[in-house]
Amino acid sequence: MLEFAEKSLTVKIDTSKCDTCETKACAEACKKFARGLLGIDDKGRASVAHRDTEEVLRLGTECLACELACKTKGNNAITIEVPVKGLDEYLAKRQ
Amino acid sequence: MAKFLEFQGKEWLRKSGLPVPQGRVASTPEEAKKIAEEIGKAVAVKGQVQAGGRGKAGIVKLVSTPDEAEAAAAEILAKSIGGNPIKQVLVEEKLDIKKEYYCSFVINGAREARSPMLMFSAEGGMDIESVPEELLFKINIDPINGLQSYDAVDLCARAGIPAQDLSKFASFLSKLSQTYKKLDCQTLEINPFVMTGSGNLVCADCKMEIDNSSVGRHPEFGIKIARDLPGAPTELDLIGWSIEETDARGTGFLMNMGYDEVSPGYIGYHPIGGGSAMMGLDALNQVGLKPANYADTSGNPVGSKIYRVAKCVLSQPNIDGYLLGGFMMANQEQWHHANAIVKVLREILPTSKPGLPCVLLLCGNREDESLEILREGLADLMTPDGPGKRIEIYGKEYVTDTKFIGQRLLALSKEYRAEKESQGK
Repeated sequence: MLEFAEKSLTVKIDTSKCDTCETKACAEACKKFARGLLGIDDKGRASVAHRDTEEVLRLGTECLACELACKTKGNNAITIEVPVKGLDEYLAKRQ
Repeated sequence: MAKFLEFQGKEWLRKSGLPVPQGRVASTPEEAKKIAEEIGKAVAVKGQVQAGGRGKAGIVKLVSTPDEAEAAAAEILAKSIGGNPIKQVLVEEKLDIKKEYYCSFVINGAREARSPMLMFSAEGGMDIESVPEELLFKINIDPINGLQSYDAVDLCARAGIPAQDLSKFASFLSKLSQTYKKLDCQTLEINPFVMTGSGNLVCADCKMEIDNSSVGRHPEFGIKIARDLPGAPTELDLIGWSIEETDARGTGFLMNMGYDEVSPGYIGYHPIGGGSAMMGLDALNQVGLKPANYADTSGNPVGSKIYRVAKCVLSQPNIDGYLLGGFMMANQEQWHHANAIVKVLREILPTSKPGLPCVLLLCGNREDESLEILREGLADLMTPDGPGKRIEIYGKEYVTDTKFIGQRLLALSKEYRAEKESQGK
């Protein structure tokens, strides 16, 4: 499992699913919609190992595109957690 | 602008060394009585609410005894002004007023000025709009050096202040000018400031509004939300502010519009940009629907910010629909909206709001790709029995067609309500 933080969200990638992914749509989406933060490593898995922490924070534009690309064209391996401060409490009061 | 109530503004004036009447704020009639007893003479009881014309509205009362102060406070605290209940009263000494004056410091945005401006009149205590123009004297103030004494003297002399009082007035106005700058005010209006029987100048009222952009420099103000709200912030307002507070990557604005969370006919409203928002309201108004909230995701915000706004808009209980109102050919790359909206709808529709009408209008830069993302990303939800069966996606053909968009939303929301009622929800 690959997990890394951008400025205000967390990207989680189940890289074991990358092995059978033929499209690598996440990296393509990252280049198209953002700054190409996400790469594909020698094993064919999604990776940010070629970036240092500062680069990850700087290049991450929080575009959310890789998650959808992986869901619709890849192996549904990416989950992006975008916390919304106070929303859970707001919803809990209304249940 | 972040607005202070009168008692808050006066407290900051007091801390800045300006003369204000002795007094404190009270939340109950009993407290008001106690404060009046402490003051030990006739007092003014003034309802604290963001509104002008408080005297005419009957929420400013002059009383002679603590018992009368208690009764006046009880009467005022039972009132609402413009839908905002009055929660506090300011109890302060009744001033011995010889004459009332007006002054305000505002921003003069005219091209030749672009600076603070002082407006002064010897006709204070009344609605300033009713003061004849020739009796209102104005001077632009150097934004760096502030109001100079000689300019203040000149202004007051023109306004008819007697020679022996010019120095006193100039000193008073200069101090206000320094306070205006120090506190990063956008507006500081003292109407009236009064000359008492003993010849002192005192700030009898105070309207203080702080520049929203400066609130970060003033933690001492304790301002929760640097926004112009009609009343106390709601939970949704606070959540909306948290989205913007530390994230300057484009606009991600969200605020409550007085929705009671149960009435029918309210739509989760997500316009993109101010002009677009007005057209979206036209779309809703034309068919009798109402916005539950106001939002704005323009200025090229990042996907996560759009997601947060959309998620909050869609999380409001009992809304009858969702309108993504992109009534403009936007320059910003709209695919960030598309990615964010798909993520939100995929999370919300299947779990908590199946069948919710969602009219998505997205036009402008990267429109074709954006609409394709919406269609492809939501395709499996948009089946005849799927949770996204009432999603409709439109592009530039409908960018100005508020009537059509409104009618589609109305038709879908009627269908949705009927379905919910048939299910006993």
